[in-house]
Amino acid sequence: MRLSLTEADEEFRATAREWLLANAPKDRAPPDGQASRDYALAWLARCHRDGWSGISWPTEYGGRGLSQERLLIWYEEYVRARAPSVLDCTFVALNHAGPTVFACGTEEQKAFHLPRILGGKVIWCQGFSEPGAGSDLAALSTSAVVDGDHLVVNGQKIWSSFADVADYQELLVRTLPGSKRHQGLSWVICDMKSKGITVRPIENMAGVTHFAEVFYDNVRIPLSNVVGGLHEGWKTAMTTFGFERKTAAIGLQLELSVKIEDLIALAEPLPGSATAVRLGELRAEVAGLRSMTYRALLREPANASDGSLVRLSFGELAQRVYRAAMDILGPDALLNGSWTHDYLESYSETIAGGTAEIQRNIIAERILGMPRIK
Amino acid sequence: MTCDLNLNEDQRQILGAASVMLEASYPVARRRQRRPDDLAELAAFGAFGLALPQDGGEAGYSVVEEALLHVLLGRHVVSTGALAASLAARLAANTGRSDLADGIVAGTTGVCAAIAAKDSALLVERGEASFALLFDGRELALLDMDGIDARPVESLGHGIPLQRIASGEAREIARSADDELADTADLLISAQLLGVAEAARDLTVAYANMRQQFGQPIGGFQAIKHHCANMAVGAEMASAQLDMAAIALRDRRADASFQVAALRHLAEKAAIFNTRTAVQVHGGIGFSAEADVHHYLKQAHLLSRLGAGAGLLAMPAPLAPHEALIRGE
Repeated sequence: MRLSLTEADEEFRATAREWLLANAPKDRAPPDGQASRDYALAWLARCHRDGWSGISWPTEYGGRGLSQERLLIWYEEYVRARAPSVLDCTFVALNHAGPTVFACGTEEQKAFHLPRILGGKVIWCQGFSEPGAGSDLAALSTSAVVDGDHLVVNGQKIWSSFADVADYQELLVRTLPGSKRHQGLSWVICDMKSKGITVRPIENMAGVTHFAEVFYDNVRIPLSNVVGGLHEGWKTAMTTFGFERKTAAIGLQLELSVKIEDLIALAEPLPGSATAVRLGELRAEVAGLRSMTYRALLREPANASDGSLVRLSFGELAQRVYRAAMDILGPDALLNGSWTHDYLESYSETIAGGTAEIQRNIIAERILGMPRIK
Repeated sequence: MTCDLNLNEDQRQILGAASVMLEASYPVARRRQRRPDDLAELAAFGAFGLALPQDGGEAGYSVVEEALLHVLLGRHVVSTGALAASLAARLAANTGRSDLADGIVAGTTGVCAAIAAKDSALLVERGEASFALLFDGRELALLDMDGIDARPVESLGHGIPLQRIASGEAREIARSADDELADTADLLISAQLLGVAEAARDLTVAYANMRQQFGQPIGGFQAIKHHCANMAVGAEMASAQLDMAAIALRDRRADASFQVAALRHLAEKAAIFNTRTAVQVHGGIGFSAEADVHHYLKQAHLLSRLGAGAGLLAMPAPLAPHEALIRGE
């Protein structure tokens, strides 16, 4: 077991730090709408221009092909520089769809989509959840019937963040008529400009309108857009979730290390006070979360579901950090929109990407080997 | 890769051998006899001098392997005397008493742990120990127990033999306020707490999968599953932090003290939470002294009272290993 960086790693860190210092935008990113798209794509394109996008992506598709250590270093410097939150409208493309296309896609799909994603040319959104299929994703009913060399999609998706400004969607649909549960699904690339798509944005409790409902009325999608095989969509979606629960959140987890330090500095707790104890304990837990992030990247997983441990820890810890900010900063938290915003947004951390309750079921059943719920 | 958090072949071997030895000589059911642990098998295994230089040469192992070994000791609810011996050997060696250190490592000189309290010290599983290692805040002191007649203390339901002496009653022959030794103590205490937390989790999952009510294993109910998932999360966070802290201490990184302090908090929290939850999930039998659950709970409380972790806001927290700090640069 070792955590030793080479001189070359340290040089990489110094270069990353210097570049971020000179280039990371200082203004606050617009949270939604066309402005959020323009801002995020401009920032990603600038990263890409100077070789700072796709750090661990393979070089043949425009990435840097660097090691996990370098990826960690990059994110550490990224959050240190307080660069724009990684959870912006490029998140799905960079952390979900891109890695899934890379893992399960055809050569044509990879060659077309991956460079566009890394180059900051396109926005992707997710199309998994439905009004009747939230935690129970396998209950989804949006249908896609094969018609010649196309699929014809009818139905509805929901909680699709940035669908209103997206170019593509990772869409999970039922392609085998009459199929049940995990069978007969397909993971397809949906062009959001296709005829028959209607997007209705939904405002969230933080006052931000990044997610949306998407309606499909006889939307035609080429069969060549299926990723990972027709009717094999559940397997592809599990690959997507694997990324979501493992690598996607590195930036978010490390970001919490900066937030807790900011909070401690702002709170100036009296030594020995209840506030000092609370902040000290949160600081320890954020350190523990960071160690879990390291472990997820630098150790062979004992179990494919291990990511659920990190995901659940992060979500609940983020909420406790922001709740502490609201309690400790008092009126200052309300006066400073950024803490209140983070606090309100953090409610989604135990809902999105599998609720805390679902994560606990996964941990119990797939890691601890407890009986499955029938 | 320059970074790797997998166990290497050496580590797998020594931990595998330790597991076999512990299964054979220290099954948790032995605790039902309510006698002080006999630590001879552990001494024979070389547990107390694992990371100490041998015969004037280099140490065979580092605090990383030692910490991982102590996780296993925690799993087997091994007497806090093992911790005391490992640390007392260091204290003796650091203060020029190499004969005493050798005796402790060999197991011929017994050491028990002592918890500093107001006006007195609590001796844990004293048995035949001729020395006690007093965990006094961030300091460690070696007490000569020769001729000391300690009084039994009735607490913890007699599960673990406890005695008390007055402060100053036993002669103090060495004391250390050394930060590295304090950090090493916290690392090993935390490792044992983690072992207790992991064992409580595993014991509880096994019981929930076996115990039938309402015509099915109670482990099928979400109320029980979620208790167990919470146990798994706390243990996993402490376990990941153990690797981080042990490596930082071994490599004498600037953030070692902070990493250890964070670990101590996480390990205490996981051990207390997991053992409490274990009693609850076991139900009536968990409350009985006939099942082994209560041994884990009591050990968690005893370990938590050994010394005191460093202040969590007293040191800067790093963002990256070897790295400048988030603040103050």
